[in-house]
Amino acid sequence: MKVLFKNYSVPATIFALAIMLVALVMSIFGYGINYGIDFAGGLNISYNMNSTFQQSDVEDALRAQGLTDFKVSTTGTEKTTLDIRIPKLSSEEEIQKLQSALETTLLAKYPDMDTTNATATYVGPVAGATLVRNAIISVCLASVLMLGYIALRFDLFSGIAAIVTLLHDVLIMISFMVILRNVVQMNSSFIAAMLTIVGYSINNTIVVFDRIRENNRNHEYAKMKREDVVNLSVTQCLGRTVNTTLTTLFTVVCLYIMGVASIREFTLPIIIGILAGLYSSVLMSGYYWAYLEERYLNRKKKAKPGAKVQKAEA
Amino acid sequence: MKVNNRGRKKINRKTSAAIGLAILLVVTIFVGYIALNGMWLDNRGLYKLLPWMPKTNVTKETWPKPIALGLDLKGGVYVEYEATLNDELKNDSNINFDTLLTNTMDIIAKRLNEKGYTETTVTKVGDTGIRVEIPDVTDPSVVLDLIGSPAKLEFLDSDGNVFMEGSDLKTATATVDENSKPALSFSLTDKGAKLFGDMTAKSIGKTISIQLDGKELMSPKVDEAIYGGSILVTGSFTKDQVETYALQLQSGALPLDLRQDKLDTISATLGDNALTTSVNAAIIGIFLVMLLMIGRYRLAGALASWALCIYIILMFLLIAVVPGIQLTLPGIAGIILGIGMAVDANVIIFERVKEEAYLGRPMMHAVRIGFKNAMSAVLDSNITTIIAAIVLLFYGTGSVQGFATTLLLSVIASMFTAITVTRFLLSRMVTLFKDPNLYVIGMKKHAVKPAAVAGEAK
Repeated sequence: MKVLFKNYSVPATIFALAIMLVALVMSIFGYGINYGIDFAGGLNISYNMNSTFQQSDVEDALRAQGLTDFKVSTTGTEKTTLDIRIPKLSSEEEIQKLQSALETTLLAKYPDMDTTNATATYVGPVAGATLVRNAIISVCLASVLMLGYIALRFDLFSGIAAIVTLLHDVLIMISFMVILRNVVQMNSSFIAAMLTIVGYSINNTIVVFDRIRENNRNHEYAKMKREDVVNLSVTQCLGRTVNTTLTTLFTVVCLYIMGVASIREFTLPIIIGILAGLYSSVLMSGYYWAYLEERYLNRKKKAKPGAKVQKAEA
Repeated sequence: MKVNNRGRKKINRKTSAAIGLAILLVVTIFVGYIALNGMWLDNRGLYKLLPWMPKTNVTKETWPKPIALGLDLKGGVYVEYEATLNDELKNDSNINFDTLLTNTMDIIAKRLNEKGYTETTVTKVGDTGIRVEIPDVTDPSVVLDLIGSPAKLEFLDSDGNVFMEGSDLKTATATVDENSKPALSFSLTDKGAKLFGDMTAKSIGKTISIQLDGKELMSPKVDEAIYGGSILVTGSFTKDQVETYALQLQSGALPLDLRQDKLDTISATLGDNALTTSVNAAIIGIFLVMLLMIGRYRLAGALASWALCIYIILMFLLIAVVPGIQLTLPGIAGIILGIGMAVDANVIIFERVKEEAYLGRPMMHAVRIGFKNAMSAVLDSNITTIIAAIVLLFYGTGSVQGFATTLLLSVIASMFTAITVTRFLLSRMVTLFKDPNLYVIGMKKHAVKPAAVAGEAK
């Protein structure tokens, strides 16, 4: 089989770090993640409409005011009360301004609307600190256990390389949430997107490592540099990597193109995560393992000549 | 004779393969039909298909249990509370109200989580309000059962004087007594344990009374002093009763007093079109995935598409049956994404089969060896994901838990369909049709000369 890959892990890592650095600098200068109402909290405005109404009319009216992140719902068994959740506004005047603009638009269509007894209250985040803290702790704990499993089934270096890759994929996702802050807001579905990529990314890495493990057992490759074994393994896995990435991307991109705003908030980070996973499993994870393994073998060889041959045969 | 026998055996094997495929096809269509149309009695589902089936009282409303949807897709009920410090804490100057409010919100969220409402949201309203939105509930009065109305527990001595209250209670749990009858188990604080011990020591031979909101739970005769702080309250309780009591008593342990402000139904935040477009996107996505699979792996890809249909039906059933899932729009998107990921195991397997076919092995061998070689990658990659899902299920809260359940189900279902169903289909199909060109593209270009295989074989 013609080997199509070379070790580009150093430039690949530098490029990935550069993206993270851009995001970091942006955050430091106050252009960080664009938190939506799920994380930042917002304003709850409530009206008694005194008649049934179309939620889409209210949504159109909100969009006309330049709002993109909002939730409109009907409350009450008679379905005549309107509940709007929007991001926090900076001043009482702005709330007043928005309310009067909304009222003008809606009164035209729903003349029974009660504008005198409207309420506007600040509400806290839906994805509270407890949920977020818990999600982060769970992911860390899951990573440790996955590292343990991979160390058991493969070796410790594979485990370390896999977790570093996983961290890369998640950090790239978060970085793009910063870089694309004008396009996408972070709401609670981001947590689900992040967890999806954690599961997806580890699959990608394991498939490559499985091939490396198999090739390591092959006597023909025992004299090769580990880096070259990785080159070969990545090439052998390429068909699978490309096909799986395509099938996954097909469904997600369909959702992104056709979906509503809340679906885009979820699918955009996933698309980025899938691409990051492709990038890291082809260009990074195997080579990190090769670096660690080669260094370990060299050290062993210095200490005890002939150790490398023994290890390869084992 | 010998030749004849072998000939018949071959036919038998082909026939049984064809029968196997036909049976699975019928089962897939049948189960798929039920999954899409349901089994109810309005001449649409199973009973239209099989009119001779005995009729039951099952109606569209009672069965099948529809898939529970989240707040964004279906709405639910909401309740707003006004939180205040209770009398005991009012005089305490070290109290941080915000911390207590956060604790109260966490307890409410945890309580609803334990009841399976993982997509519940609990938010702070203004400075002292708490708003709880619960999906998949239509009757506002259920909220009280779910969150619990705080109850007042009192222990009375033989003269009817209260000597101990609910504040000395550490936990109250529903359990069973030595006769397996429902009972309540109390564990007391250190202070409560001493109080109760001293009181029972004084009341030997007399009766004391345990009351909940003024209603007598139990009036046992004291035989000996009971120290140690754990009490088992027995009587003629039903299981539901003890569970309600336990919940109500635990509610008494909320750090703040809650006064219910508003309680009503709330509609979905997303219109019907959000669900429709997502489902349309899913159908297009599935179609593209199948097209790609057939393009890359031909007949094997078609079988993978068949297995994918079985996976989708399985997921529908599991989500409806397994508790603790309320599907939100991101949840549905996650399942659709799972469809793309579900074919991954098939891709890994088919790539391995392709390699073997290129080496010139007959398809039957190539499939067997391909599956064997792919198994470690499929198992290891899925087991790591399962480990992650289980951790999230046990340590995560709220929507993270709901997500973990869906993830776990989809990994297990996809692994089952890829390993069992695809293998069943493919092994039978290659018995019927042996030509490798039906399963593998580029045979002409990549196939190794038979001589090379002979040389490689050990």
